[in-house]
This record gives sequence, C-alpha cells and structure tokens, in this order.
Amino acid sequence: MWLPIFGLIVGVFLGLMTDIRIPAEYSNYLSIAVLAALDTLIGGMRAYLQNLYDERVFVSGFFFNIILAASLAFLGVHLGVDLYLAAVFAFGVRLFQNIAVIRRILLAKWSKSPEKSL
Amino acid sequence: MNRMNKQTKWGVTVISVIAGFMLAVQFQTMRSPKLKDNRDAWELRSSILDEQQKQSKILAETTRLEHQLENYDVKQNTGKEQALKQTLAELKREAGLTETAGGGILIRISPLKEAELLGEDFHSISPDLLRRLINELNMYGADSISINGQRVINNTVIRDINGEPKIDGYSLKNYPIEIKADAEDAQSLYDRMKVSEIIEQFFVDNLNVEISSPIKNLVIPAYKNKLEIDGMEPSEQDEKGDS
Repeated sequence: MWLPIFGLIVGVFLGLMTDIRIPAEYSNYLSIAVLAALDTLIGGMRAYLQNLYDERVFVSGFFFNIILAASLAFLGVHLGVDLYLAAVFAFGVRLFQNIAVIRRILLAKWSKSPEKSL
Repeated sequence: MNRMNKQTKWGVTVISVIAGFMLAVQFQTMRSPKLKDNRDAWELRSSILDEQQKQSKILAETTRLEHQLENYDVKQNTGKEQALKQTLAELKREAGLTETAGGGILIRISPLKEAELLGEDFHSISPDLLRRLINELNMYGADSISINGQRVINNTVIRDINGEPKIDGYSLKNYPIEIKADAEDAQSLYDRMKVSEIIEQFFVDNLNVEISSPIKNLVIPAYKNKLEIDGMEPSEQDEKGDS
C-alpha cells in the first residue's frame, strides 16, 4: 500500500530535480494528462480496496486515458472548441466519486476494527 | 484485505512514479516565470523614446498624406497639375533624383597608417562592409547618403568588379572615401554612429573611420545615372479620362 505512494513521491522528486520544462503551448496537454493519471491512480486504489483490482485494466487505463485526454485537448484546439473541458469535467467528477468511495471504505474498515488499525 | 502480489505492486509503483513525474513537470512548467522583462529603467526609457519618435514620425507622415489628399480633393479642378507636379517633385526627392542639403555627418574612411607602417597588406574596402555601413546609417535615421559623390539610392549597386570595389560603376579606389549622410537629427545620427560597432569592423580590415561632428549644411548630390526600371511600364491611358 505504501509503495505506490512512495513511488509518487519519488516521481515528484525526480521531476523537480531534473528541472524539465515543457513549452507553454503544450502545458495544456500535460495538465490534462496529469489529471487523467491521477484519476487512474485513484480509481486503481478504489478498485484495490473493493477487491476488483485488475492489473491489465489499471495499466491500460492509465495510458489509454492519458492519450485520450491529450488527443481530446488536441482536437479541441484544432476545432476551436474547448473540448479539454469535457475531459476535465469527466476526470474531475470521477476523482471526487472515487475519493468518496475510498473514504467510505476506509471509514467502514476503521469502524469495524478500530483497535486493529489504531 | 487482499495482498497485492509482487508484480502488481511494482506495476502500480512504476505508474505512480510516472504520474508523479508528470505532476512535477507540470508544476514546474506552470511555476516558471513567463519571459521576465528584465530591462532596467534606462532601457525602458529609451525604448519608450524610440516608440514615441516612431509615433511622431508616423503622425507627421499621416498629416503629410492627409494634406496631399486634401490637395487632390480641393484642387482637383483648378490645381490638378500643380498637385501632380508637387507629388512628382516629392517622389523625385524620395527617389534621390534631386540634390539635398541639410544637417548631416561626414564619414571619412582611409587606410590605417599603422598597418601601412607594419607593412601589412591592405585590401580594398569590402562591399559587404560598405553595405552594412549604409544599413547602419539608414537604421539611425539618415535620409540621404552619398559615397564619394555618388548618391546611394534604393537600386544602388555596390560590388567588387575584378577586385575593385565599385558603386554604380564608379570605382572606390581613391582614399579617403567620403560618405555623406544627412538626417533630420544629425546630432543623434552622429552620436549613434560614434558608438556603432561597425567602426571596429572597419578597423579589422585595416581601415580607419573618422566621423565628423554634425555639419550644418551638407550637400548631397543627386543620383547621376539613369534610373532603369525593368518590368514596369505605364498603364494604358484611359480615353475617357474618368478618375
């Protein structure tokens, strides 16, 4: 459980250390890709807690969501419609839902066996 | 709670690392300042001044053109010819076909004496360098320029012919070469030329450049050759003469 969080921290650390900056015109795409990645991570966490976790779904979902989100943003730029808002909306809603589910599961677990987790 | 198997754990970790990395890169990109304007007050002031000068020049140009338009409109019947003549004179002046006089500077280019003493080979002046000097002069507001009495106009040709630099066919063999440039603001032209890098470029070619302080009444001759215009011909006259 802690290893992924550690991985996240390592990734952030690496990103900050390497001092990589992408051109401003691509930052839109990256922001939406980051959102997709976060959504997938949180979704994976929820699935794991609900015992529904499937690695193939998780890994494919991660890359597929990122690519889909970025291409949606790309299409939006070229059509002159802010299509990336659709992705932001979808991922945002899902993020909140998944986090709510995770919270409930964790609360339920803690209330069931308080002496064990505390 | 079921336990993740080892492979799954590592898969999730790798993906977390990627996500974290993306997050950090995005964070850094958003945080980086957008092209800081790090000019100091003086640079800002001078750029404001430049813009103001540009503005006043454009305004003056607009006024002049408006005047011209008025001339066309008002004197259409009475002074049509007059207006046309005036335009023609103006165009001629702009094209460099008339002699001009005004404040300006005199630039004298001569071979470097030190180089002669050292016995270094002296090559004649390079046309490229001369062209750059003219560009520089134009950039700093010179209105008309002449080199050794040859007026420089838009189609002036400066090039090497058989190793001899020539301007519009006239040789630039005799030194010192005198370049006259007049400008509305001769003092500013002088100041800017004085600190121009191009002088050092001449120095590299063993040429010495002297810039005279602004001269009040500098006469710049008219363009002597015939203007040859290829690929341009008068349109056919409209018989009815409608305007």
